[in-house]
Parts: sequence; C-alpha cells; structure tokens
Amino acid sequence: MPAPHVVIVGAGSTGSACAHDLALRGLRVTVVERGEFSNATTGRNHCLLHSGGRYAVTDQESAIECIDENLILRKIMPDALELNDGLFVALTEEDLAFKIKFIAGCAACHIPYRELTPAQALAREPLLNPKLLAAVQVPDGVFEPWRFSMAFLASARSNGAVCRSYTEVVELVRHNGSVTGVKVLDRVTGKTETIGCDLVVNAAGPWAGEVAGFGGIEVPVQPTAGIMVTVGRRMNNMVVNRLDKPSDGDIVVPQRTTSIIGTTSWTVTDPDAIDIPPQHIQKMLEKGIELLPEIATVTTRGVGAAARPLIKRARQDERDVSRTFECFDHARDGGVEGFVSISGGKTTTARGMAEKLGDLVTRKLGLSVECRTRNTPLLSYRLFYQ
Amino acid sequence: MSLHSTNRARPRKPLQWIDVRNRRTGMWAFALNRVTGLGLVVYLFLHFVMLSQLFVGRAAWDSFVALARSPLVLAFDVVLFAGLIIHGLNGFRVALNGFGLGVRQQKAIFYGLMAVGAVLLAASTVLIFTI
Amino acid sequence: MPKLHVRVQRQRPDTQARYDHFDVEVPDDANVIDVIEACWRQDQNLMYRHACHHASCGTCAVRVDGKEVLPCIVPLAACKPGDMTIEPLRNFPVVGDLVVDVSAFFQRQAAAGMVITRDAEETIDGHPFEPSELLQPDGKLERRHYNRFENCVECGICLSACPTLSATDGFFGPAGLAAVHRAWEKTTDETERAALLDLADREGGVWQCHGAFECSEACPQDFDPAGAIMDLRRALIRRKVGALFGR
Ligand SMILES: Cc1cc2nc3c(=O)[nH]c(=O)nc-3n(C[C@H](O)[C@H](O)[C@H](O)COP(=O)(O)OP(=O)(O)OC[C@H]3O[C@@H](n4cnc5c(N)ncnc54)[C@H](O)[C@@H]3O)c2cc1C
Ligand code: HEM
Repeated sequence: MPAPHVVIVGAGSTGSACAHDLALRGLRVTVVERGEFSNATTGRNHCLLHSGGRYAVTDQESAIECIDENLILRKIMPDALELNDGLFVALTEEDLAFKIKFIAGCAACHIPYRELTPAQALAREPLLNPKLLAAVQVPDGVFEPWRFSMAFLASARSNGAVCRSYTEVVELVRHNGSVTGVKVLDRVTGKTETIGCDLVVNAAGPWAGEVAGFGGIEVPVQPTAGIMVTVGRRMNNMVVNRLDKPSDGDIVVPQRTTSIIGTTSWTVTDPDAIDIPPQHIQKMLEKGIELLPEIATVTTRGVGAAARPLIKRARQDERDVSRTFECFDHARDGGVEGFVSISGGKTTTARGMAEKLGDLVTRKLGLSVECRTRNTPLLSYRLFYQ
Repeated sequence: MSLHSTNRARPRKPLQWIDVRNRRTGMWAFALNRVTGLGLVVYLFLHFVMLSQLFVGRAAWDSFVALARSPLVLAFDVVLFAGLIIHGLNGFRVALNGFGLGVRQQKAIFYGLMAVGAVLLAASTVLIFTI
Repeated sequence: MPKLHVRVQRQRPDTQARYDHFDVEVPDDANVIDVIEACWRQDQNLMYRHACHHASCGTCAVRVDGKEVLPCIVPLAACKPGDMTIEPLRNFPVVGDLVVDVSAFFQRQAAAGMVITRDAEETIDGHPFEPSELLQPDGKLERRHYNRFENCVECGICLSACPTLSATDGFFGPAGLAAVHRAWEKTTDETERAALLDLADREGGVWQCHGAFECSEACPQDFDPAGAIMDLRRALIRRKVGALFGR
C-alpha cells in the first residue's frame, strides 16, 4: 500500500518545516505555495533566532519553546545562522528594576545568561548608547528566513516531497463531510487542477482563515501586522534588545551588512493589503536611536511589514495574545475530517510546531512513526534546486 | 557535478553581448575589443586577397598600389589603424588583468591606454596622409 | 502619493514576451518592490519573486529601466519620475513574467561549495578583531570571532550583467566563481584547495571571463566577483608556472 498523501497549503517556515517532518516520517507530501516560497510573513520577519529572553518574564511557555528550538537549530542548520548572541540593555531605572525579573525568568526557563557591566557591553558593542546602565547576554541568533525555509524544503524534497510554488489553493474539495483534496490554480500554466489526498494541512499563516473558508471551515486567525525598518549600515555585532517588557521598536537585529529595527503591532483585516502607517517608521527610528544612537546618521534602506498569524482570543491586547502556536484538528467536536490547521508560533519554533503537527497527522492516519527531525541535519537550501 | 547544466536560457537575443545600453566602461571596452577584433580578421582576409594580386602579375599589382593611394582608401587605413590600436592596447590590458595584475585599476588603465591610443592614432593619421 | 506608469514584461515559458501597462500610486518613500506589489494587486497573475524586503534573501532581482537591481532597496526617488519598465533578469530561463529559473544557478553555487557564513573580519567600528566571549549552547563561554553571513546574497544580478553569459550558457558565471574563490580562501586543506582551483581551471571556468567587470559594477552588495575571478587566475598561473619548474 502506498504511504498516505498529505497536501500542505503554504510554504512559510511552518509549512516548510511540516513538509520536512512528514516526509521524514515516510509520508507522501505535496506542498503548494501561491507565490515564491517563504514570500510572506516568514520571508519578511525580523530574522531573530529567539533565545527566549524576550519572553522570559511575560510568556514563559514561549520562552522555553524558543530556547529548546534555538539549541536544536544550532545543531541541524549550523551554517545558515549568525550566532553572535544578544544583549538586553537597560537604559533607565525602570529597565534596571526589570533586570531582576528578567534574570529570574531566564533561570526559570533554562536560558543561559551572563550579566555584563556597561564597560563590558560597550567593549562588545561599541555603538551602544554609552548611557546604558547594565546589560545581560543571552544566546540569541540571526537566521535568514528564505534560506531557513528552503533548508527544510530541500530536505523534504530529498525525501520525496513535491514542492510547487506559484500554485494557489482556490478550493477545498469535500466529500461526505471530509476534505479529500484541494483545487489549485497554477499561475504558470493558468490551469486549475485537483490534487487528491488523504489529508490537508492548512499552513497558510495569516491566510489560514481564508483557506479554511474555501471549504466552509472556520479558523480563528487574527492577522497582526508589524513593521521592520532596515538601515543602510550594520550597527551591531549582536542582537540588541531593550531590557524591558516586549514593546514597540525594542529590538535591533543585525544581519549581513544591515541592522533591522522592529517592530510594532496592529491588527489588519487583509494580510495582502498592509498599508504601513508613516508614524510607525518614525517610531522605529526613534526607538532604535535610543539603543544605538548612530542610527541617526545612516539612511533607511528598506521598510517591510508582515502579519503574524496569531490565534484570536477574546478580550486581549494584541501583544498579549499567546505566541505559542496551535494545531487544530477540525474533526474535533463532530467537525470536518481530513483537515488540520497549524497557526501561530514563530519561525524559531517551526520545527517544534511541525513535530506536534506530525504527531497529530500520523495519529489521525493510523500510523505510528516517530519524529526524527530533532537529530537530522538539514540539507543546504541550495540543494533544493538539485 | 559538471560546470555545464542542462537548464538553458533559450531563446537568446542575438548580439546581446554587444548591447552596451545601461552598461559601464568594462562592457564598452569588451564590446569594442570584440568588434575591432572581428574587423581586424576581416581586414586580414582582404589583405590576403590583395597580396594575391602579386600572383596575377605586375600590371594588376601596380593598379592596386595606385588604388591604395587614393584618399578614400587612406581614410580606410586610418579606421584600420584605430581598430588595431584600440584592440592592441585594450588587449594588453585584458592580458594584464588575466594575469591578475592591475585588476582594481582596470578602468584607469583602460582610459590611460585609450589616451595613448588617441595620440598614436593622431600621429599615424598625419603619417598616412603625408608620406 | 506619486503616480507611476509601469511597463512590465509578461511571459510564460511557451509564449512571446510582451509588455503590460499598469498605472499605480505608491507612497512617496516607496521602494521599487512596492511598485511591483502594487501592479500585482491589480493583476494577481503577475509572477514575481520576493521575500525579505531588505536585500538579504536575494530573490527579488529584476531589471528596472534596463539595469539590474534589487527592487527592495531602490527608492523611487532614485528612479526617473513618471514611468518605469520592469523586466526579468537576462541570461536565465523565464518561468513566468519576472520570475526566472534559478535552479542551474544554485546547482553551480552548490558545486562551488561556499559556506554562507564566515568569521567577521572587523568590528562594527572598523577595528581588527579581538575574539569575543560568546555563549555556548551549554551556557559556557567560548572565545571566538563573531560570524557573519557572506555578503553575496545569490541574487543572480551578476549573471544577468555578464556579457560572456549572454553568449554562452557554458560559463560558470561570476557568482559561482566568486563562491569558488571564497571557499578556496577559507579552507586550509591543501587537497581541497587544489580541487577548487581545478574547478576554476576547467572549461567554462575563469578563463572564459572576458574581463568586462560588469558583474562587480552591478553587484548590489559590493561583492566584486570580477576581482575574485582575476585572483583565481593569478593563483592558477602561479601553480602552472610552478609546475613548469617541477614544483
Ligand atoms: C513583524 C514580524 C516579525 C517577526 N519576527 C520574528 C522573528 O524575529 N523571529 C521569529 O522566529 N519569528 C518572528 N515572527 C513570527 C514568524 O514570522 C511567523 O510566526 C512565521 O513566519 C509564520 O509562518 P507561517 O508559515 O505560518 O506563515 P507564512 O510565512 O505567512 O506562510 C503562509 C504561506 O501560505 C501561502 N498562502 C496563502 N494563501 C494561500 C493559498 N490560497 N494557496 C497556497 N498558498 C497560500 C502564503 O503565500 C505564505 O507563503 C515575526 C512575525 C512578524 C509579523
Ligand atoms: C596588436 C596585438 C594584439 C593584441 C595584444 C591582442 C589581444 C587580444 C586579447 C587579449 C583578446 C581577448 C579579449 C577577450 O578576452 O575579450 C583578443 C581577442 C581577439 N583578437 Fe586580438 N590582439 C591583437 C591583434 C589582433 C589582430 C591583428 C587580430 C585580427 C587578425 C585580432 C583578432 C582578435 C579576435 C577576432 C578576437 C576575439 C574577440 C572576442 O572574442 O571578443 N587580434 N585579442
């Protein structure tokens, strides 16, 4: 009997990692992505390989997921990461007061940390605001989102997965109350075709609600946009964070020859039409200058925005919505069979999310195969094109 | 893995390699070198045709020499010299670069050699029309 | 909000290229990628590549008014006002509209074997490095250099600008040879170094370059592939001359 066939909708970090997980477990996998791989939220995110430090006080569940995955990714995709650690920098007395909670949080979440004096911090990061009061070093890192996803897809492909870009799902095919395939529009040929399968994984990020809607299914995703402002020169060796509760413009992520200031958070209705409020750009620059004053002297290189696929919960401020992900089995409560949605989370935790999804999918398909992604080195993104 | 791939960028636009629009000095130098190189080959062929007149006999050769002294043909000689000078001097630069020498200064070397070429060409034009 | 008349090359593998016209309005501080996105919002059949929007992924490279650029970092202010022509890179097979097939390119990049991270050469303020104390996964400290992604983003712009490649597909191309050069510089393993020089020495390798230097001119990341090619040539000549004298 051939292995069950799973179609994954969307090839951001989530869909790509799911493809790798399922293909490694021996399933037949087809990934359909409506644009370039990783073109959406993943491609345009802040590139921070979280150590968990950012959530160590406010959301320890997320923090632990982050540090665990951070350590795994260092092993399985070491050559695609800039591993220069991160600094949490206190600029005010309030920041300094937060430091105590921060350190307790790191300890509680087994995040390695080290306290630095201002002089030690400035020796490592010469362009930091010289008025800093204290700094804490944690194992943050930087990834390159497109290559991050392509490494997962390359590995999936080497295990037989079929990965199609510019192929958009336009309908979920339903039969007797279960989803039995997807109807796709191939933008190259202009033709629509039906791909039959045993199960559909909806990994369409902020579009997950729309994709589920193609089959009359509801997914409570709340697209929440954020902007990133990239400046014309690299200003820092390490990731520089404000030592405070997560807020707007409190991280400057260095990458290649640039530094990226981010981010903000506002709810949008259509993730395809994110209009960037000009005052957000101004705010990013102001906040960035507080951390690294020399930002005032360089030009802006690019501005991008993307929408987090956060899970909608009643009565919460956007930033308090849990960053951890959710896997919905739509068959629960007498719903639809053959359709699973995975949403939320982070690029950093994509592998872990995929592991949970793989467990659910194999269970639903009546298989018992272990997840092996934790110890399987990923192929180079370049080998996707082999 | 070989250097060659099966994946080809066809169809090509013919003569794209000579398209200097939006390109910089290096491309101009390359295109000039190629055009002059081909021109010189054509000339070499003509030159052999001319020399073969020697086999035909003295009369044929004399009438050829008379033709060669007409202003039109002399003007053609100036173009030939221009081509030879540009190609030779630029070829010298390409050869230098090929040995890994003067790579960062390639533009300056090109302009410098072309300035030398302009002087040489002026001198040879005077010589062609006066001798 | 400046108004812009945009001509975009449209094509599928089996059709002739034609130009479609779009009238778009974008914010004053928009980059060219925002113009392409505005066209896409009018016609979702328009195929283009993009991901990071800050010149790191290298996917979005196209030709704007005939010149290769990364549209994500080119501000409208740097383009001529009023109208703009957008075409795919040259010297690549077209998949659709502005999307080119990069498989052959990445196969060569893979063959070149360059690892995409390196030790940082200097600190942020331009001083030579003292290794820093960085955290190891187990929380211990290790003295090592900061690392960096290579500056080359593998966007393919240098291949599009290369006159040799517009005459033949056989050439390994500037990015690939620059990657060979990087790999060769980085390793101290003599057999590996010799193998990399062999790769550069083959037909389609460094000797096929005509030295037009367009790759280095067009590179959005100041990577200087032409310099790398010439450097490999020098190393090869040294090796060949050395061999003549039995070394
Ligand atoms: C501003 C911002 C900054 C962030 N910074 C970080 C960070 O620094 N570090 C980190 O770890 N995480 C970060 N995140 C979170 C992270 O980017 C996201 O959680 C993650 O990228 C989500 O990936 P995804 O695959 O679920 O969604 P996406 O990347 O959006 O993927 C969904 C895909 O589905 C495709 N699709 C949609 N509809 C269809 C259809 N009908 N048919 C076929 N395909 C379809 C889309 O084209 C898209 O490619 C950030 C998020 C935001 C918004
Ligand atoms: C004066 C001495 C000359 C020098 C130093 C010289 C040098 C060179 C060099 C270095 C090249 C390679 C250019 C490249 O890689 O793009 C070249 C190409 C060429 N040369 Fe010459 N050359 C000389 C004379 C000639 C003559 C007399 C002819 C014609 C009979 C000629 C015909 C050509 C041709 C056809 C090419 C190929 C052009 C191309 O591929 O672009 N050259 N020359």
